[in-house]
Amino acid sequence: MVTALPLLALRHIAKRYPNGTQALVDASLEIRAGEVHGLLGANGAGKSTLIGILSGATTATEGAILWRGAPVRWRRPADARRGGVSTLYQHIPLVPTLSALDNLLLGAPGWQRRDGQQRARAEAVVAQLGNPFPLDALVANLPIGARQMVSLAQALLDGAQVLVMDEPTASLAAQDRQAVYDVVRRLAHQEGKAIVFVSHFLDEILALTDRVTILRDGRDVLHRRTEDLDEAALAAAISGRAVARLTRRARRIGETVRLAVRDLASPAGLAPISFDLRAGEILGLAGMLGAGRSELLHALFGADPCARGAVLVDGTPVLGPGVVTNTGSAVAAGLALVPEDRKRQGFVAGFSVAENIALPRRGWLIDHATERQQAEAAIAALAIKTEDAQRPVGTLSGGNAQKVVLAKWLTDQTRVLLLDEPTAGIDIGARVDILEQVRRLADEGLAIVLVSSDFAELLALSDRILVLREGAVVADVDPATSSEIDLTLLASGSAPACDGVPA
Amino acid sequence: MIASIPWRQSLGLRQAGVFYALLALLGILAALAASRGLPPYLAPANLGNIAYQASLVGIMAVAMTIMLITGAFDLSVASVAALAAAVLVGLAGQIGFVPALLCALCTAAMIGILNGVIVEFVGINAFIVTLGTLTAVRGLVLVVTDGRSLMVEDPQVLAQMLAFESARVPLFWPLLALGAVALAIATLRLAPAPALGGLGLLALAGLVGPRFTVAAPVIYLLLFTTAAWFVMERTVLGRRIQAVGGNAEAARLSGINVRAYRLGVFILSSLAAGFAGALFGSRLGAINPTAMQGAELTVIAAAILGGTSLYGGAGSVIKTVAGALILFTLTNGFNILNLGANYQGIIEGAVIIVAAAIYTLGNRKRGETR
Repeated sequence: MVTALPLLALRHIAKRYPNGTQALVDASLEIRAGEVHGLLGANGAGKSTLIGILSGATTATEGAILWRGAPVRWRRPADARRGGVSTLYQHIPLVPTLSALDNLLLGAPGWQRRDGQQRARAEAVVAQLGNPFPLDALVANLPIGARQMVSLAQALLDGAQVLVMDEPTASLAAQDRQAVYDVVRRLAHQEGKAIVFVSHFLDEILALTDRVTILRDGRDVLHRRTEDLDEAALAAAISGRAVARLTRRARRIGETVRLAVRDLASPAGLAPISFDLRAGEILGLAGMLGAGRSELLHALFGADPCARGAVLVDGTPVLGPGVVTNTGSAVAAGLALVPEDRKRQGFVAGFSVAENIALPRRGWLIDHATERQQAEAAIAALAIKTEDAQRPVGTLSGGNAQKVVLAKWLTDQTRVLLLDEPTAGIDIGARVDILEQVRRLADEGLAIVLVSSDFAELLALSDRILVLREGAVVADVDPATSSEIDLTLLASGSAPACDGVPA
Repeated sequence: MIASIPWRQSLGLRQAGVFYALLALLGILAALAASRGLPPYLAPANLGNIAYQASLVGIMAVAMTIMLITGAFDLSVASVAALAAAVLVGLAGQIGFVPALLCALCTAAMIGILNGVIVEFVGINAFIVTLGTLTAVRGLVLVVTDGRSLMVEDPQVLAQMLAFESARVPLFWPLLALGAVALAIATLRLAPAPALGGLGLLALAGLVGPRFTVAAPVIYLLLFTTAAWFVMERTVLGRRIQAVGGNAEAARLSGINVRAYRLGVFILSSLAAGFAGALFGSRLGAINPTAMQGAELTVIAAAILGGTSLYGGAGSVIKTVAGALILFTLTNGFNILNLGANYQGIIEGAVIIVAAAIYTLGNRKRGETR
């Protein structure tokens, strides 16, 4: 049911922030009832600003917003919500100490609690979503996927006609993603809601949406029906150039064993794991969310105080009987970790690029000149987009901040690089940049352990892949002869484990 | 914290506001004193007096700033100071001044270790733990002193204590030397901040003249502040302390032993408190069990006036000292000018809230531009 008149139209929106940043130059967007509308763009293309304008959190400097053809002006998020536009953010703003029902009713008008009546309404809405959570459960106890459903139900209770979903699947495991897709389809195609779906995942945009708008450098560069598009066209429009997918190529792996792991186990959820990693080798770790991939990296890095077993870097024990293990000794031995959640674990937001890069360095006095030189070298080598080395990393875009986290380990000392989802939440152009850099580092002799939920990425880059499930290695896979489907089946446990499995 | 702050901004209200406030306050009090026909308020002797009065709180506040930068909190400093004073005064008569001072500092360090171990290894919030030790250590002071005032009887030991606390030190030549060094750094680096600091120091030297002396605690404060500033701004150690407060998990995953740093800061805070307490006990060679009660709040207020964030990651020890000077200038001004001591609390409280408001609003304005 596609109606001729768009429900909500943004016309020639421009936004200049008080500090002079021109986030949007000229962006238009038309959203129709009963459709899922994909919104894509590289980091810094202006997506967040456009979402801000849709939600009323940001006001446009130029351009018009038309609601059912009539111009409106939203100055606050409450205006947009009353108007019928609800925005679901990546970081879900719920009160964890209240029950799901109380959270749903937070926006209810009036001063009196009328639990019976309101509960009935809430139950109806939640049933519409397929009852993904019990109404009386404490939000703090709900898994992330269910919390997302709570905030979706909240929006529907408020009477939203347009739902803006900002990367709803970025932090979800495969089965939770499927639940989001089902709900989105139902809401759009059966309930007639309009949904703006923002995502970095091209495959889900192609599978889920009816129409796509792509932003680049603050302009809308593509409006098209999804059925006329493919991944290559999307990638090209996002980055403004034809993006070659990373392809496998033959690599030479050294002879020396850089990293030897023997019976590494942890109560944090690791069964005893053993493997060897050679200089120049890239070992991929595949698995579903919660399979123990991050736990393995943390145990290797000395960040898990309960880990048992032995880890040796170039024959020197980092973990083992009689060895004091902490992250400091791991760094000294040549291990380096690029953690999964770069904002929480990777960088100090208030520190400059140079200060973050210098963080693991040892020494006594700070030498600003050398630090700046090293930072500038890293900025050039990794193509980090920043005005200068003195800018706080908290102000950089995700991809560039990730490059800073990587840059801090590019020292002579580093021998084994542990990468935990290095491309999560990063746009396609920067993603290929980072992956190629990783391969170059391996060619220079680093041993690399790569964790990624993007199995295509793993297959293209790794020399060998270990599949983890419930904290144990269930398969040792040769990427040259395997497909994404093989990995997915192995990781989700629906295929018989193949040969090469360590006992 | 970030070396990149442009110099125009570094002179702005947010960055240098606490210095402007101190100057403005001194100016107002000087004008009031002149209008009432009192002796000049800005006389070197009076300024030296303010610095002397602020020195104990200043020493504790510098350590507190470092503690707040790591994101932790220490409410127990005043009690620890009183305990150190009691240990010093109680033992000095029997074992001599220097051994007693060492005992006092060791006692303080033990409390610091206790605080740090409970916070770090049991995982209780620092606010609660130190609220507990605030009370318990004050109780320990009562036990040690048996609830009475203690005093040193031995005249020789008493003389040593007075020499430690009340010796007068000329300030002219050290100020001149420091000012010259700051100006030299400014010319070498072409940086305006040390130039201003240098000019300020030289002006101060000119103001006080070669015959002016200050009490020893002012010098201790000066030395401790300079050392703390150097460590925090110019060494890798200081950078790591800031990283622990800025993002502890990122610091840990960069190979920094976060626990050791946090524990170290608790020990530093208690040691500074112990030293301040030893100075307090040496002032009269006596201690009563309620000494310094409530001083921890003045210490924290000084750090907040200096713009230290309670959320960790940001703060400056020099601005904290300026904050302490503001608080004691207020006290001193009310006393000297006889402005009605009843209003003092209202004014001090208002100053703290206004300062916090300026910092918070400044942060918000900068945040919005992103």
